[in-house]
Amino acid sequence: MTDTRDTNVHFHAELDDLERKVLSMVERAEQMIEMAVEAVTKDDLELAARVVALDGDIDQTYFEVHQEWTSLMARHQPLGSDLRRMTILLQLNATFERMGDQCVNIAKIAQFNTGLPRVERICEQIREMGDLVRPMVRTAIEAYVRGDIDEARLLPAMDHPVDRLNANMYKETVAVRDNSQLLEWATKMLMASRALERIGDQAVDFAEQTAYLITGEMAEFDEDGLARALNEHDD
Amino acid sequence: MTNETATSNQGIGDVIEDMTQPGPEMRGEKPEVVEVPGVIETKDMNVYYGAFRAVADVSLSFGTNQISALIGPSGCGKSTVLRSLNRMNDLVPTARTEGEVHYHGANIYAEGVDPVEVRRTIGMVFQKPNPFPKSIFENIAWGAKINGFRGSKSDMADLVQEALVGAALWEEVKDKLNESGYSLSGGQQQRLCIARAIATKPDVILMDEPCSALDPIATLRIEELMLELKEDYSIIIVTHNMQQAARVSDRTAFFNVKLNESGMRTGRLVEYSPTEQLFTSPHEKDTEDYITGRFG
Repeated sequence: MTDTRDTNVHFHAELDDLERKVLSMVERAEQMIEMAVEAVTKDDLELAARVVALDGDIDQTYFEVHQEWTSLMARHQPLGSDLRRMTILLQLNATFERMGDQCVNIAKIAQFNTGLPRVERICEQIREMGDLVRPMVRTAIEAYVRGDIDEARLLPAMDHPVDRLNANMYKETVAVRDNSQLLEWATKMLMASRALERIGDQAVDFAEQTAYLITGEMAEFDEDGLARALNEHDD
Repeated sequence: MTNETATSNQGIGDVIEDMTQPGPEMRGEKPEVVEVPGVIETKDMNVYYGAFRAVADVSLSFGTNQISALIGPSGCGKSTVLRSLNRMNDLVPTARTEGEVHYHGANIYAEGVDPVEVRRTIGMVFQKPNPFPKSIFENIAWGAKINGFRGSKSDMADLVQEALVGAALWEEVKDKLNESGYSLSGGQQQRLCIARAIATKPDVILMDEPCSALDPIATLRIEELMLELKEDYSIIIVTHNMQQAARVSDRTAFFNVKLNESGMRTGRLVEYSPTEQLFTSPHEKDTEDYITGRFG
């Protein structure tokens, strides 16, 4: 069969529209990460409020996508790669919604920390984590759009420095334990660090989903981005 | 919409504990594929109608106590394959089957095999319900009698009840066993036909689009019945409804129409896989094209 004809053209057009809508959230997510980091490292309450407002937009898109997805599923009951694509879009929709929530969590810390003393080194580290996490989100989405498994496999390596910085935040927090006000501030910043680390993990998860779309095999990436089938246990 | 505020909900201990967890969570598990010995196996089966080769080189093994589905576009030969499994095709004057069909290891096309006996042990249910123009009771009793049932009257009553219970129809008809089979709804008639099929104690039931003439509720009941029946029987079903195959079957065979060397359209087996595999990540591009609605 060489000359393939799409007899499911209406469904595929709707699926393309739905995909565009989900992917449109990536820019907002990147913007929110940048703004949330800025807000928490500079105690900028106005910026923090804008992050919360942007999250409302993401939530709205999330609901619309969810409704359209359900309608598509009920009407077409897709199979094969269409089914895998649908599955991933639902997951990506939820991922963006959760990323928005994580950004709100970070932005809200700015409110709690107003007036407390701060350690500039920790702020630098949070900014660095933000600068590492945003390209992860972008790369994961680009790997999906291009169907590029090699690009998807880059994600675990990109996640390493984020994990390392997050672990280091704990040491930084312990280091200021003798100053109760600094400790209070640093503990909150540890939460921000944790939220950024989670966003990084979500990007890795998404890259694994992309690999599933391409290969049909559900697998986790190991540290080198090589797929490890979920039924291979490390005994 | 949840917006968990880590600062207010989590203590530092929780956070540290979280940090020690592995990163991305595991999602889902791979289905375990259980290979079971085949109750029916075809070997290089070719079926002809006159000079026309309808299906070519089909080698398949149908699992015991499994539901196996045959799917594919019109003209791919899936019904022909089904009808060859109990020599139903012998009733078509021009039909000829080459190759072998083994039932519990014995070739049903071997010389001396009685096709009537084959059809008794390998029962069949058709697309349109086809009850006999007799009472509900007689629909089952008559079939059993012509297939050699020699029990007493009360044995027959037990057999009829057993078959109707087995086909999930007993509760609906137990008070009107003497009414005509035609008085039942389409879905009930189809279950009556299933009861008639299982009354002759087959161990394989072939179903040729058994739900295509039924409404969605009646279809659902037949599908549930199939899942119950597979405890005791092996079922092979031809269906045009891919979702039905996905819902009920353990393994699915996809057939497609191919042009042969001389330009004739012949049905061929493309892929035979565990159903979940075939409908989520098929091995063959032809299968993927068919189940996503792309084919030329």
